[in-house]
Amino acid sequence: MDIDLFVQYGPILLCGLLNTVLCWIVGAAGGVALGFVIAVAMYYGPRPLRYVLRGYIEVIRGTPFLIQLFILYYGGPNIGLRLDPVPAGILGLIIYGSPYYAEIFRAGLQAVPRGMIEAGRAMAMSEGTILRRITLPILMVSSVPPLTNFSIILTKETAILSIVTVPELLYQVQTMSAETFAYMEAMFALALFYWGFVEVISWAGRKLELKTNAFLSKELSA
Amino acid sequence: MFSWSTIVENLPYLLQATRFTLLVSGLGMGLGLVMGIVLCVARLSPIRWISRIAALYVSFFRGVPLLVQLLLAYYFLPSVGIDIPPLWAAVCSIGLCAAAYIAEILRGALIAVPHGQAEAAAALGMHPFTIWKRILIPQALKISMPSLVNELIMLVKVSSLVSAVGIVELTRMSQSISAATFRPLEIYIAAAAIYLVINLALAGLGQALEKRLDY
Amino acid sequence: MTSENASSVEITALGKYYNSFHALKNINLSIPAGKVTCLIGPSGSGKSTLLRCINFLEEYQEGAVEIDGQVIGLESVGGRKMSARRLREMRRSIGMVFQQFNLWPHMTAQQNVAEALVQVQGLSKAEAARKAAAALQKVGLGDKTESFPNRLSGGQQQRVAIARAVAMEPKLMLFDEPTSALDPELVGEVLTVIKDLASEGMTMVIVTHEMGFAAHVADQVAFLEAGELVSCAPPAEIFRNPSDARIKAFLETYHARNQF
Repeated sequence: MDIDLFVQYGPILLCGLLNTVLCWIVGAAGGVALGFVIAVAMYYGPRPLRYVLRGYIEVIRGTPFLIQLFILYYGGPNIGLRLDPVPAGILGLIIYGSPYYAEIFRAGLQAVPRGMIEAGRAMAMSEGTILRRITLPILMVSSVPPLTNFSIILTKETAILSIVTVPELLYQVQTMSAETFAYMEAMFALALFYWGFVEVISWAGRKLELKTNAFLSKELSA
Repeated sequence: MFSWSTIVENLPYLLQATRFTLLVSGLGMGLGLVMGIVLCVARLSPIRWISRIAALYVSFFRGVPLLVQLLLAYYFLPSVGIDIPPLWAAVCSIGLCAAAYIAEILRGALIAVPHGQAEAAAALGMHPFTIWKRILIPQALKISMPSLVNELIMLVKVSSLVSAVGIVELTRMSQSISAATFRPLEIYIAAAAIYLVINLALAGLGQALEKRLDY
Repeated sequence: MTSENASSVEITALGKYYNSFHALKNINLSIPAGKVTCLIGPSGSGKSTLLRCINFLEEYQEGAVEIDGQVIGLESVGGRKMSARRLREMRRSIGMVFQQFNLWPHMTAQQNVAEALVQVQGLSKAEAARKAAAALQKVGLGDKTESFPNRLSGGQQQRVAIARAVAMEPKLMLFDEPTSALDPELVGEVLTVIKDLASEGMTMVIVTHEMGFAAHVADQVAFLEAGELVSCAPPAEIFRNPSDARIKAFLETYHARNQF
């Protein structure tokens, strides 16, 4: 492969990488937040709300991410929702990820031992205090590994954003190869890059997981 | 205004294209299962380099976005002179990727098969190959049934990506119709509904199957 | 310690249902201030349920539990449920120790003890920490203040749980099979701590399977079977001279099992 190519296309590739990382981080963070709200609403909310949210989860999990993006990006203007590619991509990631995150939190909430909560009640704590001081910290400890896991899966989904013209890494590489005709090499290099990227993140995730328990337990009770 | 008539008029085309969605995901699953079993056995092989290669395979195909894999196949095959129809190239891509996930699912299930079963078979003088074929793999398949159904649902969803390499399945068809009718919202929602129906049906089927397989 | 620091409990015509299952049937029991009452009986007899009714962790449907003359959980006998705030006020003077310890796993021993002192009693963090350390010292765990529960043995965990309850200076302590989840060699250290507490004059209600302990420490022993209170009498009477055939049968099985 040509060094000049990289010099010439370096800036747009870097731009693409930054967009990929931006979409991923904002998308994952937003998805975690939305998923958390959904899970808590499903746990404490009234029955009708629970049914609505269950429906939302099933619909989002049962349809392809690409179609969700098309509805948002191309269908949105029909109902007056006009978004630039990057915000549309980020919003798409948030919506796509939210039901998976919600299910992680929901499982975590259900896994908090009843006795821990009863101990709080027996000690005359209010339900709010119990949620804040006992339920949530225990929930976080058990949820961090699956949260990291799913967030890693989400890095790969960012490649799909190229189809709705989000100028992320894959999109930029395609632009570049359209001009240089080096499709195969470019795609192969990109595959290797993603591979390395995901492996590094997974490795970091596992490291983090090992430290999380001790860290969270100290941090959250401080 | 939400135009129901657009949906009704174009539904036949969408359903026709849905056959290719089912074809790609179904064949992909079949290929993935066969390759996945081989990979899983290789992964558990006592011979170091075989299990290393299998692990590398799994890591690569799970680490690289499927869309990039599809594009790679799309550019790679012609460049080395392999001229197969794009549909088959797409099926192979999906299958190769699914194999990595299925291998891991089966590996997890095999760990759950009680160790004593293989020992019992060995004590009866069975050949290791027979033990795999008759005892371990059937049980692993059964234990992993829910995960395999999940994988199939996943494949139905990711099959939408083959639209990017020009195969006219449900997603590609809805793109064309949207462009022609200027009603993307209706068409894409209709497409989403079709995907949802397929996946809910598969999930239901999976649950029924799971019940029947229960002892 | 005077009886001002110890509550009395009056249980009258108490009935408890789980759907159609009648878990407690017309229980009448007096628990005098400053005394130790042990609840014994076969598993499933309702003794833990009865204990949990005393601090209203279990809601009851009939009769009442009165603590120092005040009905807990209900506005009046047979009335509506009391407000969460009122219930919390009453629970502030009732300590509870659970079979499974129920320590909060994300807090150190000291934080476990200090938590309610800060959140419920409104002490400053420093004051709570000091009090927590003292409470842990008292149960013989002065050197374990910074340990997380998963680093402690079952017996140590249960002692932390006792310290956690005692630090709130309750007038009534409830123990729900405090040694049932422990390995046999760890039972002694927990029973010793409970015995020391008993000598301080706090009102205590203890659900236990340790007959020797009950005989030694209890002022009265209540025997339950199938949701009914069969008898409540001084330990000497229950253990030496049981009036009821059901108690006799229960004790015989107990002794037979412990011969091995």
